[in-house]
Amino acid sequence: MSENKNQIEWRVISETVPGASHLRAGTPNQDSILFVRESSRGLPILVSTADGHGSPKCFRSDFGSQFAVKKSAQIVGEFLDERRGRFDLAEIESKGKEYLPKEFVKKWRKTVEYHLKNNPFTEEEFKKLEEKSSADARKLVEENPLLAYGTTSLTVAMEEEFVLYLQLGDGDILNATVAGEVTKPLSEDARLLANETTSMCLPKAENDFRFFVQKISAEASPAMILLSTDGYLNSFSNEAGFFQAATDILEMLRAENGFSDVSDNLKAWLEEATKMGSGDDCAVAIVYRPDLLKKPEKIEQSEKIETTTIEMPPSKETSQAIAALTDSETVTPEDLEDVTVTITIKKDKNKISKSSSVALAETDSASSKLKNASDNKTEENGTE
Amino acid sequence: MIKRPGGELASRPLHFIWIADSSGSMEQDGKIQSLNTAIREAVPHMKKVAEDNPNAQVLVRAVKFSNGAQWHISQPTPVADFGWTDLNAEGETDMGKALELVAEQLKMPPMSDRALPPVLVLVSDGQPTDDFDAGLKSLMEQPWGKKAVRIAISIGKDVDNEVLQKFIGNSELKPLAANSPEALVRHIKWASTAVLKSASSPAAGAEVPAGTDTANVPIPTAAPADAGGAAATTGTATTTAPTGTPAGSPGDPNDQNTVDDVW
Repeated sequence: MSENKNQIEWRVISETVPGASHLRAGTPNQDSILFVRESSRGLPILVSTADGHGSPKCFRSDFGSQFAVKKSAQIVGEFLDERRGRFDLAEIESKGKEYLPKEFVKKWRKTVEYHLKNNPFTEEEFKKLEEKSSADARKLVEENPLLAYGTTSLTVAMEEEFVLYLQLGDGDILNATVAGEVTKPLSEDARLLANETTSMCLPKAENDFRFFVQKISAEASPAMILLSTDGYLNSFSNEAGFFQAATDILEMLRAENGFSDVSDNLKAWLEEATKMGSGDDCAVAIVYRPDLLKKPEKIEQSEKIETTTIEMPPSKETSQAIAALTDSETVTPEDLEDVTVTITIKKDKNKISKSSSVALAETDSASSKLKNASDNKTEENGTE
Repeated sequence: MIKRPGGELASRPLHFIWIADSSGSMEQDGKIQSLNTAIREAVPHMKKVAEDNPNAQVLVRAVKFSNGAQWHISQPTPVADFGWTDLNAEGETDMGKALELVAEQLKMPPMSDRALPPVLVLVSDGQPTDDFDAGLKSLMEQPWGKKAVRIAISIGKDVDNEVLQKFIGNSELKPLAANSPEALVRHIKWASTAVLKSASSPAAGAEVPAGTDTANVPIPTAAPADAGGAAATTGTATTTAPTGTPAGSPGDPNDQNTVDDVW
């Protein structure tokens, strides 16, 4: 419990939809998305998206992208677990840059090879390939079977002190600050033009990754991170429109029902984007910190809320309650002689002053039952 | 539903550029009139092809070259609004300058990185009278110049095919030889329909692992057979001809009709 007490809470909303042109052509959604939260520990949160290539030669890229999101989350998760309790950002940066791409590509290839061994290419697949592609397409796939599974990969891992980014190929990751400033944490890759992309299926793929470790603190942290395959960003008439999407979503998340507003509508937004825009599959993951986006609660006098603030030394009951919250065996009034408890008593049920460090249930006396504010968060998380 | 986040949505732009020879030699034997007719007749077919993929916005314009080069139709015009304006022929064959003009427009900006690979169709009956290599170098220095689908149509027998082959930049794809008005019509229609269809298709918009394709737009294999039996494409580009090409149409690989050479 004490490990989680001060932990940053990140929440995740994600969705993927098949592209409008894929629906017309009868091809499957080749994008994949995955997020993993260590339920016992809270962090890290691992979010991964992948865009299986649409080229006819990549006729199993839907599998390739599924393998990519699973393997990247696994590899990055294991890498962080090995260092838990002794995070050294410089070491993570230097070691991760070299180790993660290499290990990820190795594991992805192994998974593909295992899948292929159990599901060899069929004549029907080759027939379709030859109908849609060049005469030498079959030869190219037979020479490099990984080509059939070609995919990009975007992964983000949230830890207490840093965010780790790992990307291969096209797609975008955006950071939004609490003030709404949107930036790209990773450098641009000039090779990604005209639908050509670096890929998990290419030889030396491990050399083409982009990697970044972003130190975060109470003062400096992204309020929201948005991962998107290129089908979504290519649906906007320009990059500013895509950035605006991040800003708009950030604003929506500030609202009281922000989480449900965005999660309930994201699918429809992506469907509209692919229909009116690129026609490509879209996958989007939004990771955000509710604590940074919370608007200060305004207590209007007109709401007939009666508020009384009492400052006094903690009572015996309060001391016991604090002991329960802090996992202490016993806390005596002497231990707490420097502590002042601020009790806000409100008639308006369930509205708690933001300034309270200890949330209190409505009560008529100081002998309160204490409730950890994080209980509310747990309930909300259950809706994700 | 809550208002959709983000800016304006738009299909991906596909720039189609005619690069047309309007030198004095095009006046001979009615070549310029044939070119005007061929492009005008192709426009309705281009419109139909564009309608088939609403996720690509086909934008058409044209450069002419003779003494120097100028934009004949300068604005990237949505194909639905596009109409051909006749060219007149006079002067030299400054093909290099035409490529420089195109190169300028393929820079980013004005191009955006969300565009589909552009289609450039070069039509000429002669030999460059300026520095063609410099023009081609300018074009190929632009990322979109390199990624463009480059098609060349030669009119008559005086063409410098080596130059056109350099423009195409793919040894598996040859210049289309048009030795008669009928062949020219057929080639123009093929470039503006079959090639456009491939360039605007979902396959063209699909991600391709870098370096695995000779071209990232699937050029139809079956170029139109030349009426005079002269060199056509070898048909060894990246994919087969688009399905649904009507028999006997300009894009039909079985079209072996022949007429006498006029040019």
